[in-house]
Amino acid sequence: MSKKRTPPSKGRRTRRPKQPSRMVRLFRWLLKLGLVLTVMVGVGLIYLDAQVRSKFEGKRWAVPAKVYARPLELYPGQRLSRDELKQELKGLHYRFVRNAGQPGAVEWASSRARIRTRGFNFPDGAEPARNMLLTFSGDTINDIRDAEGRRLPLVRLEPMLIGGIYPKSNEDRDLIKLSEAPSHLARALVAVEDQAFYDHWGVSFKGIARAMWVNVRAGRFVQGGSTLTQQLIKNFYLTSERTLSRKLLELPMAMLLELHYSKDEILEAYLNEVYLGQSGNRAIHGFGLASQYYFARPVQELDLHQVALLAGMVKGPSWYDPRRHPERALERRNLVLKMLYDQKQISQTEYDSARQRGLEVVKQRSLHKGAFPAYLDLVKRKLREEYRDEDLSTEGLRVFTALDPLVQTRAEAALDTGIQGLEKRYGKRASGLEASMVVTDPQTGEVLALIGGRDTRYQGFNRALDALRPIGSLVKPAVYLAALERGYTLNSMLEDEPLSVKLPGGNVWKPQNFDRRSHGLVPLHRSLALSYNQSTARLGMDVGVDRVIDMLQRLGAERELKPYPSLLLGAQALSPLELASIYQTIAANGFRMPLRVIRRVTDAEGAELSRYPFSLKQQVKPEVVHLLQYALQEAGREGTARSAYSVLPQNLNLAGKTGTSNDQRDSWFAGFTGDRLAVVWLGRDDNSQLPFTGGSGALRVWTELMRRERPEPFIATRPAGIEYVWVDEATGLRSDARCEGSRQLPFVTGTAPRDKVDCGLDRPVERSLDWFRNWFN
Amino acid sequence: MKKVYMMLGVALVMTGCAAPNPYGYKTPVEDRSRTSPSPSPGTAVPVESESGVKVTPIGEMPVIRAQRDEQAAARVQQSAEPVLSQPQSPAVIALLETARQDSSGGDLRMAQSRLERAQRIAPRDPEVYVQLADVQRRQGQFLQAEQVALKGVSVASGQSGALRRLWNLVADIRQEAGNEAGAREARQKAAAY
Repeated sequence: MSKKRTPPSKGRRTRRPKQPSRMVRLFRWLLKLGLVLTVMVGVGLIYLDAQVRSKFEGKRWAVPAKVYARPLELYPGQRLSRDELKQELKGLHYRFVRNAGQPGAVEWASSRARIRTRGFNFPDGAEPARNMLLTFSGDTINDIRDAEGRRLPLVRLEPMLIGGIYPKSNEDRDLIKLSEAPSHLARALVAVEDQAFYDHWGVSFKGIARAMWVNVRAGRFVQGGSTLTQQLIKNFYLTSERTLSRKLLELPMAMLLELHYSKDEILEAYLNEVYLGQSGNRAIHGFGLASQYYFARPVQELDLHQVALLAGMVKGPSWYDPRRHPERALERRNLVLKMLYDQKQISQTEYDSARQRGLEVVKQRSLHKGAFPAYLDLVKRKLREEYRDEDLSTEGLRVFTALDPLVQTRAEAALDTGIQGLEKRYGKRASGLEASMVVTDPQTGEVLALIGGRDTRYQGFNRALDALRPIGSLVKPAVYLAALERGYTLNSMLEDEPLSVKLPGGNVWKPQNFDRRSHGLVPLHRSLALSYNQSTARLGMDVGVDRVIDMLQRLGAERELKPYPSLLLGAQALSPLELASIYQTIAANGFRMPLRVIRRVTDAEGAELSRYPFSLKQQVKPEVVHLLQYALQEAGREGTARSAYSVLPQNLNLAGKTGTSNDQRDSWFAGFTGDRLAVVWLGRDDNSQLPFTGGSGALRVWTELMRRERPEPFIATRPAGIEYVWVDEATGLRSDARCEGSRQLPFVTGTAPRDKVDCGLDRPVERSLDWFRNWFN
Repeated sequence: MKKVYMMLGVALVMTGCAAPNPYGYKTPVEDRSRTSPSPSPGTAVPVESESGVKVTPIGEMPVIRAQRDEQAAARVQQSAEPVLSQPQSPAVIALLETARQDSSGGDLRMAQSRLERAQRIAPRDPEVYVQLADVQRRQGQFLQAEQVALKGVSVASGQSGALRRLWNLVADIRQEAGNEAGAREARQKAAAY
């Protein structure tokens, strides 16, 4: 600019200065102004261009993290009922059809199923889409073959999407690629929204004119004038407020976008950006998510009539909402189909058959999203230990969890049945019950299911994690384990007699048995199986409260525990999840495994960010835990949990412990079988008294769960340092299988009693009773 | 019935105190060489008497029991320890094989993923723990590797071949981690199978 203002040359100065005419002055002024404006516009364009490019090339969308359930593994020999498989496939929104022609479809017959899987890109390798035939025999998968008849040893289905972690804007989307979209989708969009899309430079005056013509001819507003590019700009870069300046920016930005990117790139961005509906406070963006939301299947699997509906909805997602205004939506869909037909994009047959179809929108938003709030809550807490909220809600992370939807469903059903039974039995006194449950696989330490309250869809107070309640007799295994570790045996005689312990505050602790009686001398295993309080308190006082606390912490308790004597009988409050962690260690022969909910986290592209591998640490010697497992199995066979066997198979060998807190405010059961461990709590939020104990309350729910689970029997593997010895139950002396009153108990080798009872075995010729009578007479 | 015999037992004990011991039994009080805290556990108290007669174990005092008849004895007799080894399913064989390939190709993380998958399907198969522990050993995670191998020992009970391999693996891991004494001990345990 300064150049123009350079002083006149020397030569000119010699001449007589000539006054420029008005016209010239005006022209100069205009020139200057023009230049200034050009520069300003230029700078503005450069700025806009940078904006357009940076947003388009950077991370375009905040994509919420996706949380998946465990994938169902299928293999010959696997125990899986047909109903379970059906439930899983329904959860994955497979279509049950007569002829499975495309992925996501199943042909279902009495003892076989042909499944067209969708395939899934797992972090440890892609599972291809398969066409496979499953054959059942009873409740077992007999055989799996591919389309060519080859045997498949192991297949996994896609994992169920169980939820997402949304940003504050509550925008949710499933990103799709243009190549993945059904071919009709792009055509339909172009047909209804922007017919000149492939010809214009971002702005189409022809398009505007045509739209006006179409609208006039139709006698109503059918088509808008802005191009797809303009619509994308509007949604993508500009705020929703409608001002003139926004509108003015739209045009140059659209043209800039077209300058830099191909039509396909722009269309792909459009497919993922467009707003297509509202689910509560969750905004449904993009065709990927909309397809799931309205039809419960991936966009690739949509048929023409469904594609046409979605394309038609772009104009007004709430006006054409097929759930609220089905007639309006149907009319709109058919209009889209007609336009496609008129433009010769589809054939007469395609047009006719698509028009015949109903809307086929699924009733609810997809069945399983939001169905597991308690588990998802736990997943989020674990994630937040490692990831920032912002990354979780925007980076499109994929989170693979251990949730087993089949187990979760059975747990919920068991809770319902169990509580209904209690309400029937106790009437009003059992009203207002609350509940929580944790189910794990004791072999792997994975949390399979979690219930945070009776309303299992409620995203609120998660009792499995946050309700701290006195654990009652569930503490006893830790007391006995500490004692067994210190040299007691299962055969040690304990005194079940009144005791009083002076507390620092001047109070006296006088524990009572549940039946208000004392039982004299009882062997240690029986004291635990029958859950005697006085003998346990004496044992615990002898071992020392500190050692019991140490044991609880080694087993899995993480909070600080107060060393009061009342801890020995479960005054300490813990959450069901912590208890599951403690019992997990007992079930796993003394190996403590951190309970795992997340298996792996990957970024949007599938690269691994973190994994939570199987890890464990031996905390208690396996021999000592073996002894405790025996006593906990006795609780099932002969003790406080024996009612379980009235329902469950005799060979289950369940091991567990009932728990009832003071004044019967909490009803607990924690127990395990070969491949399932569950902790059940029943109680009330206002902490009022219950009409039942752990054995008559929570145990019923637990039993109902195990009945449905059909778990594997618990087999207590016998560690090397263990021997089984027959002892006399009443005296604890060594005995023999052939002697009355004897029982076989496990001992750490060398700790069994040596002295024997006498039942005449040293005189093998005579039969016992004869001998007995003879001797007596 | 049991109570009747117990009562009889008490009576017999009483007579046993007076008369010479018919079978020359030593004192029926359990001899525990290990000291244990009071109330001394394992102290055998012959019978809880309902009749108010306090029976104290003084001197030689056998506890007499009737014999079970053969049927009852057969009923209470527990079967031998169940055999735990189950045939491997083709699924587990396939996973173990591909894990072996991953592992020898140097892709230890992939091998680990596959082995964890195998563990979920067959958590009581010692071979899964043998391979998993070995992969962790090769990753230098000696502590975890040892624990996984020990977990293998706990599921392999009764399977001597697997136990030998697992203890040898524990020995290797301890050796590599610099725990000479622990390695020797594990080697001895392996030799016992």
